[in-house]
Amino acid sequence: MVKDLTTDVLVVGAGPSGSMTAKFAAKNGAKVLMIEKRQEIGSPVRCGEGMSKDWLKEVGIAPSPRWINVEVEGARIFSPSEQCFEINEKSAGNEVGYVVERDAFDKQLAIDAANAGAEILLKTSATGILKDGGRVVGVRAKAFGEPFEIRAKVTIGADGFESQVGRWAGLPTNLALRDMDSCLQYRMTDVECDTRYCDFYLGSVAPGGYVWIFPKADGLANVGIGVQLSQIKEPAAARTYLDKWIAAHPGYAKGKTIDVVGGGVSIAPPLKQTTADGVMIVGDAARMIDPLTGGGIANGCLAGKLCGEVAADAALKGTPTKEFFQAYEKGWRLRLEEKLYRNWLAKEKLCSLSDATFNKVVDALQGVKLQKLTVHNILKAVRDKYPEVTKEFEAFL
Amino acid sequence: MAGKKSLHIESSGQLCVYCGACVGVCPLNCIFLDETRITFDERICTRCEICVKACPVGAIEID
Repeated sequence: MVKDLTTDVLVVGAGPSGSMTAKFAAKNGAKVLMIEKRQEIGSPVRCGEGMSKDWLKEVGIAPSPRWINVEVEGARIFSPSEQCFEINEKSAGNEVGYVVERDAFDKQLAIDAANAGAEILLKTSATGILKDGGRVVGVRAKAFGEPFEIRAKVTIGADGFESQVGRWAGLPTNLALRDMDSCLQYRMTDVECDTRYCDFYLGSVAPGGYVWIFPKADGLANVGIGVQLSQIKEPAAARTYLDKWIAAHPGYAKGKTIDVVGGGVSIAPPLKQTTADGVMIVGDAARMIDPLTGGGIANGCLAGKLCGEVAADAALKGTPTKEFFQAYEKGWRLRLEEKLYRNWLAKEKLCSLSDATFNKVVDALQGVKLQKLTVHNILKAVRDKYPEVTKEFEAFL
Repeated sequence: MAGKKSLHIESSGQLCVYCGACVGVCPLNCIFLDETRITFDERICTRCEICVKACPVGAIEID
């Protein structure tokens, strides 16, 4: 029989967002318990493993060779006709960075949380929520198959794309079809890729998403695809499109797949509400993934730090109310919301472009030395060469 | 159940990669992932087929 537990702050899910929340809640004096349904933190990996790097300092993560596999110089965006333009650190600073070992990265963040004083329970899943009046006061859980209860002053849902905590708490986390991608990735070996770049292939090769190549050392690469649910007609669309793309690219077709990774990714506008009495949600569970890039680690960690600080404060003051959690609700919006919304609009626009338009946009950027990769500069380059295409972008202006 | 199509989730591992995409997209939260087993609540499911679209490997069928 597992004993029921009591804590100040309960974090459900030990991904990056959960570990950051746990770490900062513990650092700020709260008694913290983080539960993870898997038997190993970070494994199996469910991620393309590309990550920007400019935000790491802000949340106190020190880059380490333990989890950095490759440091890239930039990204290349390929049109359907496979012309490309390059985004490098100079032109787009914050969007380029590392290809990481996500299992090692997640473990490091969990170690940081533990070192800050958080307790961690593995093979422990939340099976329901505990409420007192209207307020969330913990979860029903199962550890090694045995049911028990965890009572907490503050409960954090950091339980990823398939998040339950937010839904149990009645938070509006449901997504529209156009705001979700179905994703599949092969980790391949013996492929011909350029470790200086993360590559992205746009257009009808991946309707409403893109094909990505995130290179890793020693001839390995993560080759994956996201396809927008609203554009899917047949089952297994992600696999069908990815296999087709690989078959058409000899440098990848000759490779061997050593791992298959699937998953859902939200490409949604910011949620209206991420807090309720006794509960906050963070990271992928709060749909904080960047809707344009599909990247979720940075936003999850940035919000996690804030979430942990506010959770500790609320637990210690005995005020785990929705009103008190406004410090988190407003704080993460101040840091992330504008960009999330802008990139969601950009995603909506990109999803509507034809291959012919993609080709013209990328062609127009050939040979143009963009000082800074801004929407304005891109539009100017396109207008100079293909004035008729610019009309499609007027909404951006 | 009368009038409802039949939904089948292949989660024995032949197709399913246990990624949880179906769980995350279900608007009624009636699909459950238990590490190596996926189940759904027959009574709640409306056969909206969003999970069929979301499954990257085609492990969910409706007929």
